[in-house]
Amino acid sequence: MNPSPQHRRSFLAHRQAVLTAPKAIAPDGLVLVDLSARPRLGFKGRGTPAWLQGRGLALPGRPNEATPQADGGLLLRLSEHEHLLLAPLSETDGQCQALATAQARERPDHVYPLPRQDSHAWLLLAGAAAADCLAKLCAVDLRADRFGLGDMAQTLMARVSVIVARADLAEHCGYHVLCDSAVAEYLWDCLLDAMAEFGGGPLDQAAFASGLRNPEPP
Amino acid sequence: MKLIPCPLNGLRNAEEFVCGGEVQPEPDASQLSAADWAQHVFHRDNRAGLVREWWLHVPSGYWFIAERDTLSDRFLRSYPASELFAKRTPVGPAEPGDR
Repeated sequence: MNPSPQHRRSFLAHRQAVLTAPKAIAPDGLVLVDLSARPRLGFKGRGTPAWLQGRGLALPGRPNEATPQADGGLLLRLSEHEHLLLAPLSETDGQCQALATAQARERPDHVYPLPRQDSHAWLLLAGAAAADCLAKLCAVDLRADRFGLGDMAQTLMARVSVIVARADLAEHCGYHVLCDSAVAEYLWDCLLDAMAEFGGGPLDQAAFASGLRNPEPP
Repeated sequence: MKLIPCPLNGLRNAEEFVCGGEVQPEPDASQLSAADWAQHVFHRDNRAGLVREWWLHVPSGYWFIAERDTLSDRFLRSYPASELFAKRTPVGPAEPGDR
């Protein structure tokens, strides 16, 4: 079976074919979404904060903080001079392409691009029990009252390095998880295994974007 | 689980870190004899008591310096490497710009 177009470039594309007909998931059930085909882009170097600000982005005030952008994207500050921009969950690519083009054209001093599309897989875990589920895999306290919107952490999850950030979703608690693309399949399986006791399961990106958790049977 | 203080990420499990060995003064490469190089590269003090070491927080790829008491295995303090190393040492052909 061919994967759906939005997953063609994902590291997990071969695992996504089963999702073309998502099974019914309770409205408060946990879902795991593969966003690896969505754009993302990083920059580092001591000129980065000023340059990004000049391009109209809202900058996080300190390292390990994430700031939502006007277009729905999320800008993560990984260290003093390193940033990572996640595109909005909608179909647009936000400012990723525009920033990449502008950096290549302007060549601002001390700003170096870090392409993340091929280096990192991007997963989203969402649902009322998301924090309880991640507590099984990660030592950082990710409960919503301790790890608020705007917090992000660089830590281990199931013993592999990840970047984890709170996702600002309308209904439920959600977490963006970025890991090395080489361990994407391993982490995907670990998360599915950890989710099993809470119900729910993997969900197609398009179905998630349209808010469809409980599709009508055909 | 033992916790290690990281200047960038705060207190984290020891399994997130790798020790990079003692902090040593950088020798003047042009003045060094072979024996001095061997001393610098291979020999360690292995002191009992307060030591200053390089540590790496693996998930963020962040190197920092920590002061540790090897008798009690307690971390006393950790700080960014920039506190000790204010200026860069050029390596190889000069690069345009500082990363």
